[in-house]
Amino acid sequence: MTAFARKNADKPPMLVYEDVRKRYGSFIALDGVSLHVNAGEVVCLIGPSGSGKSTLLRCTNALETIDGGEIRFEGRPLPTKDSEIRQIRQRMGMVFQSFELFPHQTALENVTIGLTTVRKMAAEEAKARALALLAKVGLADKTANYPANLSGGQQQRVAIARALAMEPHVMLFDEPTSALDPETVGEVLNVMRNLAQEGMTMIVVTHEMSFAQRVANWVVVFERGQLLEQGPPQQIFEAPTVERTRDFLGHLGWNG
Amino acid sequence: MKLDWSIVWQSRWLLFEGALVTILLTALTMLIAVPGGIVLALMRNSRLKPIALFATGFVELFRNLPLLLLVYWAFYVMPVLTGFGLPPFTTGLVALCLNVSAYNSETFRSGINSIRRGQSEAGLALGMSRLEVFRQIVLPQAWRRVLPILASTWVSLFKDTSLVSVIAVGELAHTAMQIRSQSFRVLEMLTAMAAIYWVLGYPQAKIVDWIHRKYGVRE
Repeated sequence: MTAFARKNADKPPMLVYEDVRKRYGSFIALDGVSLHVNAGEVVCLIGPSGSGKSTLLRCTNALETIDGGEIRFEGRPLPTKDSEIRQIRQRMGMVFQSFELFPHQTALENVTIGLTTVRKMAAEEAKARALALLAKVGLADKTANYPANLSGGQQQRVAIARALAMEPHVMLFDEPTSALDPETVGEVLNVMRNLAQEGMTMIVVTHEMSFAQRVANWVVVFERGQLLEQGPPQQIFEAPTVERTRDFLGHLGWNG
Repeated sequence: MKLDWSIVWQSRWLLFEGALVTILLTALTMLIAVPGGIVLALMRNSRLKPIALFATGFVELFRNLPLLLLVYWAFYVMPVLTGFGLPPFTTGLVALCLNVSAYNSETFRSGINSIRRGQSEAGLALGMSRLEVFRQIVLPQAWRRVLPILASTWVSLFKDTSLVSVIAVGELAHTAMQIRSQSFRVLEMLTAMAAIYWVLGYPQAKIVDWIHRKYGVRE
C-alpha cells in the first residue's frame, strides 16, 4: 500500500498526534497514539467501544487533557492557557453523539449563540449567517423550532450548523449518528458527505462502516487505546493487514 | 363568651400596614437570598478548596439552625460581634436572608448539577468561557428547573416572616399580637390574623401550583 498518496501530503499536516497518552485512574484510555490528519481529509476513527476513539477526539479540542505525548494543531502544540484554548476551539467545530443542543433556545438561537457571544458579532449579521447555514443543512423551515420539537436527525443537523457557524478549520464528529433512529441516520450522513465534498477537514468517530468506506480518505482502527492499523479505506475494508481488524469488522457483519 | 369583632374593623389600617410589612419583608428577603443562593452554590462548586469550604460551612450552619434562634441571635449577638446595632426590621431581614440564602443555595446547586455535562461541553467547544457557559447555558436551564422549588420557598418564607415578630418588627403577626394584648380580644385577633395570612397565602400557593405545572421538568 506504499503507492497510496494521502490528500495534501505535500503540505504540513493540520493535526499531528504524537505518542498521545491518557489515563482515567488505572484505566489507560490512550496508550501512545500517533497519527496525523492533513487539510481536507476525512479521517474516520473506528474500533470497539471503549477503545479510545472518542477520548482522542475530546483531547483534540482540549475537553480532556492529555497525560503524555503531544497534539499539534496547525503547527503548534495545544496551549494550556484558558484564553488560548478558547481561540483554538473556535477553529474546531464539534458535534456530539447526544446533539447537546441548548434546549432553551430555538434552532436559530442555537446557531447564533457562538457568533454573538464568542465572536461578538452583531445580531443581524449572526442571524443572516445562521439562516444560511440552517438552509444548507436542509432546515430553512425549522429555524423557530425548539430542539424538543425537532427529530433526532434534525437536531443533529442543527448541531452541525451550530459548529459550522464558527467557520472551523476542522470538524470533530463524535459518533454523530449513534443516538439516531435508523430512518434519520441517512439525512445526517448526507450533510456530512456534502461537507466532505466541499473539502472540509473532518475527523469522524463512527460505527457507520459504509460511511467510512465511501467517504473517508483515511481510516484508523483503534483497540484498547492503541492503533491497530491505519490506512486508506480500500486497505482497511478490503485487505486489512492486521488479523484483529478483520475480526473487528467480522463482528460487525462486514465481509469486505 | 361574648365576641366583639368590631376590633378587627377598627384595626384595619394597622393590620393592612402590618400585612404590607410582611410582604415587603418576604420580597426583600427573596431579592437578596436568590442571588445569594446562586453565589453560594457557585462557591460550593468552586475548584478552590477554601472558597468551597467556606460556602459549605455557611450553608450547613444556617440551614440547620432554627430560624427563631437565628432571629434572636441576630438581635442580641450580632450587635456585640459587629459593634453596631441595626433597627429591628433590618435585623429580621438579615436573619431571614442568612437562612433562606442557605436553602436557596442547595436548591440552585441541585439545579445546576442536574444540567448534563455535555451542555457545558457544547458551549466550551464553541469557544465560550466558563462564565459565558454558566450565564448563557447552565443558569437559564437550571433556573427553569428550580423555579417551582423557589416558589415553594417563597410561600414558606411568607409565613415564616411571622417569626421576626419576637424582635418587635411591625409586620402582620406582631401588629395583630399588639392589638390583642391591648384590647384583650384574643380569639378575634388570632382569627383575623389567621384569615389574613390565609387569604394572602392561598393565592400564592395556587400560583406555585401553576408554576409547577408550567415549568415542572418534562424531559
